[in-house]
Amino acid sequence: MEALLLEYLPILIFLGVAIALSLVFVGAAWLIARQNPDPEKLSAYECGFDAFGDSRRQFDVRFYLVSILFIIFDLEVAFLFPWAVALGDIGIFGFWSMVIFLGILTVGFIYEWKKGALEWE
Amino acid sequence: MTPALIPSLGPAVPEILLAVAAMALLMVGVFRGNGASNLVGWLSVAALGVAAVLTLGLPGERVLTFSNMFVVDGFARFVKVMVLMSSALAIIMSMNWLDRENINRFEYPLLVLLAALGMAMMVSANDLISLYVGLELQSLSLYVLAAIRRDSAVSTEAGIKYFVLGALASGMLLYGSSLIYGFTGTTNFDALATLFGREGYSASIGLIFGIVFLAAGLAFKVSAVPFHMWTPDVYEGAPTPVTAFFAVAPKIAALALFSRIVLGPFAEMIDQWRQIIVFLAIASMVLGAVAAIVQTNIKRLMAYSSIGHVGYALVGLAAGTEEGVRGLLIYLAIYLAMNVGAFICILAMRRKDGMTEEIRDLAGLAQTRPGMAAALAIFMFSLAGIPPLAGFFGKFYVFVAAVNAGLVGLAVIGVIASVIGAYYYLRIVKIMYFDEPAAEFEAPMSRELGIVVTAAAVFTVLFVLYPSPILDSAAVAAAALVP
Amino acid sequence: MYQAIVFLPLIGAIIAGFFGRWIGDRGAQLVTCSLLVVSALLSIIAFFDVALGHGGARIELFTWFDSGDFAASWALRIDTLTAVMLVVVTGVSSLVHIYSVGYMSHDTSIPRFMSYLSLFTFAMLMLVTADNFVQLFFGWEGVGLASYLLIGFWYKKPSANAAAIKAFLVNRVGDFGFALGIFAVFVVFGSLSFDTVFANAPEFVGRNFLFLGQQVDILTTICILLFIGAMGKSAQLGLHTWLPDAMEGPTPVSALIHAATMVTAGVFMVCRCSPLFELSPTALTFVTFIGATTAFFAATVGVAQNDIKRVIAYSTCSQLGYMFFAAGVSAYGAAIFHLFTHAFFKALLFLGAGSVIHAMSDEQDMRNMGGIRKMIPFTYVMMLVGTLALTGVPFFAGFYSKDMIIESAFAAHTDIGEYAFVLGVAAAFLTAFYSWRLIFMTFHGKPRASEAVIHHVHESPAVMTVPLAILAAGAVGAGYLFYDYFVGHHYEEFWRGSLYLAGENVLEAAHHVPLWVKLLPLVMSVSGFALAWALYIKAPDIPGRLAKMHEPIYKFLLNKWYFDEIYDFLLVRPAKYLGLVLWKKGDGETIDGFGPDGVSAVVLDLSRRARKLQSGYLYHYAFAMLIGVAAIATWFMVMGG
Repeated sequence: MEALLLEYLPILIFLGVAIALSLVFVGAAWLIARQNPDPEKLSAYECGFDAFGDSRRQFDVRFYLVSILFIIFDLEVAFLFPWAVALGDIGIFGFWSMVIFLGILTVGFIYEWKKGALEWE
Repeated sequence: MTPALIPSLGPAVPEILLAVAAMALLMVGVFRGNGASNLVGWLSVAALGVAAVLTLGLPGERVLTFSNMFVVDGFARFVKVMVLMSSALAIIMSMNWLDRENINRFEYPLLVLLAALGMAMMVSANDLISLYVGLELQSLSLYVLAAIRRDSAVSTEAGIKYFVLGALASGMLLYGSSLIYGFTGTTNFDALATLFGREGYSASIGLIFGIVFLAAGLAFKVSAVPFHMWTPDVYEGAPTPVTAFFAVAPKIAALALFSRIVLGPFAEMIDQWRQIIVFLAIASMVLGAVAAIVQTNIKRLMAYSSIGHVGYALVGLAAGTEEGVRGLLIYLAIYLAMNVGAFICILAMRRKDGMTEEIRDLAGLAQTRPGMAAALAIFMFSLAGIPPLAGFFGKFYVFVAAVNAGLVGLAVIGVIASVIGAYYYLRIVKIMYFDEPAAEFEAPMSRELGIVVTAAAVFTVLFVLYPSPILDSAAVAAAALVP
Repeated sequence: MYQAIVFLPLIGAIIAGFFGRWIGDRGAQLVTCSLLVVSALLSIIAFFDVALGHGGARIELFTWFDSGDFAASWALRIDTLTAVMLVVVTGVSSLVHIYSVGYMSHDTSIPRFMSYLSLFTFAMLMLVTADNFVQLFFGWEGVGLASYLLIGFWYKKPSANAAAIKAFLVNRVGDFGFALGIFAVFVVFGSLSFDTVFANAPEFVGRNFLFLGQQVDILTTICILLFIGAMGKSAQLGLHTWLPDAMEGPTPVSALIHAATMVTAGVFMVCRCSPLFELSPTALTFVTFIGATTAFFAATVGVAQNDIKRVIAYSTCSQLGYMFFAAGVSAYGAAIFHLFTHAFFKALLFLGAGSVIHAMSDEQDMRNMGGIRKMIPFTYVMMLVGTLALTGVPFFAGFYSKDMIIESAFAAHTDIGEYAFVLGVAAAFLTAFYSWRLIFMTFHGKPRASEAVIHHVHESPAVMTVPLAILAAGAVGAGYLFYDYFVGHHYEEFWRGSLYLAGENVLEAAHHVPLWVKLLPLVMSVSGFALAWALYIKAPDIPGRLAKMHEPIYKFLLNKWYFDEIYDFLLVRPAKYLGLVLWKKGDGETIDGFGPDGVSAVVLDLSRRARKLQSGYLYHYAFAMLIGVAAIATWFMVMGG
């Protein structure tokens, strides 16, 4: 049991560092920066529209489109890192698997490009 | 096993074909524009057909591949052929309709194709992870399909409801899977089966919770009560061909998956999961029979009808025997024919001002469109389980299996529920044959649909004469699943 | 030959019934009539052979049942009694068939009618040729069925349907007794064959058995049960109510079934079972009592009826009473003799009445007739002959048979015999009165019908009048010709043991009764005629005033002693009430309420609730799913996995 928990120690350290860092940043801003609040500044920023408005309010779907497309490629990159690290172990099958995966992504990319999802206007 | 070796791709050829075809056709569609949607549609049907043929060509014995995550056996072959067939039929049903409704989208057949791919993977899943991947591929395609009419409020509502509740169900399934993994240390079905089969193994409460959540997630997919709430709304809101697709292929795939799980890894825990299945079966049969009575919309009615039929199918599963699985498979095959036929008839309910879905619009159909009325009457009688139509035999085999497994009470409730359910099916027949005719429907259904509906009707009527192909292959498939 | 007699009518019935559409009206009439005539001619030959010669036979056709101890076969038992019945049945039947050709000429379903008539004849022949109780019962029920079909022949008429049902139901009461009697016979004797039963009957005299929890005399019980069947079929007091209503059927049916043949089945059965009845004096007393009372009762009712057919129907009822009390005092020969003569003159009267009705454009109420004797002289003469025979005017048939019965009752020298004698004489007076009343009201006086009807009055066609003439000949001569055979010097060699007697032959004594007894019926008949003449010819206003003066009595008679009303009150209404209670409360509220209606209401209610659950709100749906998971999980926690 001890050994198992010990394996998670780096994560705990990582968590502690993250919390400490964010506390430092927020605290520093609070201590050092000049305070000149107005309503716009105090409201939460949420993808370009009001966070506490009527839920039936109209909004521009293009924000979502862009963010969803972003997430897909973001995850692709997140996938690529461990793949690159482990490429030596997973061999030729691992290599071609990723290539096929990228191919599928490319097909999707061509589709959205042709559909005009990447153009703002 | 060393991961460096390239796994055998042979068993997965149909799925690979579907995936490649889907992407290739996506490219065709996007470069040719919506004008190519008919071409894409027929090519999709062809891809599904080829995949079905390839599936039939796979070896009969049990084959594992992809690190034991993917399995092909007689059971998978039988179910996959049904799934691919019903998907192809769903595309055929939709093409004419898409033209008329001006939703000329080449994405439609591709989404069906992708859903079929997901379902094929579900059916062949031999690991909780491949199960989930297949399930999600299927579900995501279906969410989009439900909302394919972007400018229709009910269609988008159906899509969003399905999506949100589906996400919840997926979450439950995942949570259940993680509990199972946490308490056993493996996600592979064979490994789980070996573990549970060990002498003196007793399931902890956490593991049982895992099973409960897993079962709840699957129950949502098959729309068993009480995880059925989305069904009527989505069936009503989704475009009719989509509803027809929903009512058949995903149900078959999900029930097959359900069977594989409970009779594969959890075969030794039959006492636990049987309680869940019996509960789901009873609740589904009763609610399906009772709630449909007051419906006025035929698609809603078919939604409750499908809930009820899932209940009957689960009766076969609850038996937990080879006979029960055979009954379930026969049931699904017959259900496929009846439902496809019924939905084609519903699809033909079209007036000058668009589709109608009210039951009262069928009034006097026997006088205005005798052929369609006769076909729909056959399907309704069959759905009600009236001998000698096919639907009767479907029920008969599952009930016999349940009785032989000692679940007499369940079979009795099933029979009572089907008696109650007969009311609303027969009411439709009554409305068609004995009521004053309502306004006539527009021009008859297209030739392809006419052929399909005739074939389904003939199958339903003549099953009694020559049932052995279905009975025999279902028996082979069941034997593959239950050792 | 005997097979032909019995089965020719059946063949006719099948051809007319199933192929009537192809062979047409004329074909159906031709087939049934000719087959019946052949059958009748063969019967006459059989009569001469068996009754007057010394023939006789028992013809085994084939085995019917053979189950354990229980065996019965189809067999024709031909002795004098059967031969007499064969002549009566086929003779009257063939004449009625021919008569129907004319009478029913305007009907739309002639083949059906002819088929029913032939079917009836077959069943009746089966009855009279029966060799065992089962076969007797088969014929018994067969004639009941045919009677039902024929009374309700005009099935579009509600009253005809009601009458048919009534006849069937009332007969069912009698048949129940009859069936019980047959069961008892089988239990006691272990056989249903006439020969076996009659041969063994003497062993059981004075023995008791358990019936309805009581120790009762075996033979008396059996006889009374059998007689209850006879009461139903022969419309004896208590079970007579169906007969007048049965007049809803076509008139030829009334003549054949409800005068000459079927209603005499009871008399036949009692005579056939004389070896049993003779051994039970109690049963015989009962038979005499019922017979005599019916004879008197029906005659009184006949006095006040206005429907021509109903008068004759009550007359039939009354004459059947005569036959029964003749049998009751062991004068079986006299009973059958009267049955024989009665068949002629009563059929004659009915067919004559039919001819009148035919002439009067389907009018049956005598108050709307009168004064038509000049217009239909032939029918008038025929009716006159029938009436003379019925009222027992010397040298007509009824004179011989009826006087013989009354004398036998006197000669019996028993208390019940005296009772029967007194009532029989009184009934003879009433018979004469109502018969002449019928003649006077129908044919004499001033026409009371409308101009149109009178204008239309015409004599019936030959196809109807010839049968009348033949019957009239019988009504005149049958008594004189056969007196010696049936009840006179040739009694012994005529019957040759087919009628059994335990003691002295009462008929022998009847020939030697005092002269006043012999004359009394004639005196009664003449005074009945005189009274009728006085009231309906001489002073036609008196009956109305009499009826007014003695309204209770008149009403009492007009309403047939209120039998229908009493039954209605005692049986029909309680039964209907019981039915209503069982229907409304039992079936409607309890069974339907908890059964179909209740279940469907519950289902519908559940259905509405289920629809309410389906609110359309996403969070409700999600909530339902979570509740489901929680419920299942809780179930396993509680059950301990």
